Amino acid sequence: MQEVDPALIKGLTIGLGAIGPAIGVGLIGASAVGAIGRNPEIQGKILANAFIMVGLVDAVFAFVLLILFTTS
Amino acid sequence: MLQTYFGEATAPLAPPTLFIFGPLPVTNSMVYGVLMAAIVLSIFVIAARASQLWPKSRLAFWLESFTDLVMSMIIDTFGGDRRRAVKHFPLLISLFVFILACNLSGLLPGVGSITYNGASLFRAWTTDLNSTLAMATLALLTVHIYALSEIGARGYFKHFFSGSLKSPLTIFIGINELIGEVLRLVTLSLRLFGVIYGGEALLVAIEILAGNFSWAAALPIMFLEIFVAFVQAYLFMMLTASYLVMAVSHGEPESSPEMQPAAARS
Repeated sequence: MQEVDPALIKGLTIGLGAIGPAIGVGLIGASAVGAIGRNPEIQGKILANAFIMVGLVDAVFAFVLLILFTTS
Repeated sequence: MLQTYFGEATAPLAPPTLFIFGPLPVTNSMVYGVLMAAIVLSIFVIAARASQLWPKSRLAFWLESFTDLVMSMIIDTFGGDRRRAVKHFPLLISLFVFILACNLSGLLPGVGSITYNGASLFRAWTTDLNSTLAMATLALLTVHIYALSEIGARGYFKHFFSGSLKSPLTIFIGINELIGEVLRLVTLSLRLFGVIYGGEALLVAIEILAGNFSWAAALPIMFLEIFVAFVQAYLFMMLTASYLVMAVSHGEPESSPEMQPAAARS
C-alpha cells in the first residue's frame, strides 16, 4: 500500500465535504430570495426561517471541519 | 496514515481535568461554564432589580426589549398560544442566553492561553460534547415530561404508535419514531458542539496558516464565528420550542371533530 500525502486527504475531505452544504445553502438562499420577491411584506419572517435552515445545513460542514481538525 | 497539521495547536476533543472536587473531576469547560452562568445570572438579576414601569436604567431597558423580542418569537412558534409560551419561556430564554454567552465567550482573548497545571484554565462551555449533551438531555426530558403530563400516557403512546397495533406498518413507523427521538438528542447536541468546536479549530488553523498576518486573516473568521454563535443559540432554542409544540400537537386532530372534515378534504 502506497503512502498517501495527508495534505491530499485533507484537501479532498474539505472539498468533497463542502459540496453538499454549499448546494444546500444555495438552494435556501434562492428560495428565500424568490419568496421575498413574491411577497416582500413578510421579509423578516422569511429571513428568520432562512437563517434557521442555513444553521441546520451549516452543521454538516461543521462536522467536516470537526473531523478534519481532530484526526491524527 | 493521517497526520494532522494542527493537532498540537487545537484544543483536544476531551477537556482536560483541572482538579478533583470531591468525587467530581472538574474540567476547564466546567469552570468556564459556571463562570459564564454566574455572569449571565448576575447581569439579569441587576437588570431585574433596576426594572420599573418607566425604566431609567439603560441595561434594564435593553434586556427588557430583548426579552420581549424573544417572547414574541416564541409566541409565534407556539402558534399564538400565549399561555403555553409563557409556561415554557424561562427554560427557552435561559437556553438561548446561556448558549449565546458561552459561544461568544470562546472568542475572548486569554481563553486558550491562560494555563493551570499544564492545561488551559478556560474553555468555552459549548466546545465540550458533555455539556451540549447535558443541555440536549435537559431540553428533551422537558419535552417528554411535558408531553406525558399534557396528553397522558395513552396519548403519549398514541403519539408514536398511531393506528391499530395489529398492522405491522404501525409497529414499523412507531419504531422509526422512537429511533428519531434518540436521533434528535444526537443531532441537537452534536450540531452545537460541532459548529462551535469546528469554528474555534478553524480559527486556530487560519491563524497558523496566515503566519505574521494572522490578525488580518482571523478577522473575517471572527465575524463568521459571531454570526454562527447567534444562529446556533437561536437554533437550539427554536428547535426545543418546536419539539415542545410537536410533542402535544400530534394527537389533537383525531380528538377534535371539527378538524376531521378539513383533513379528509385535503
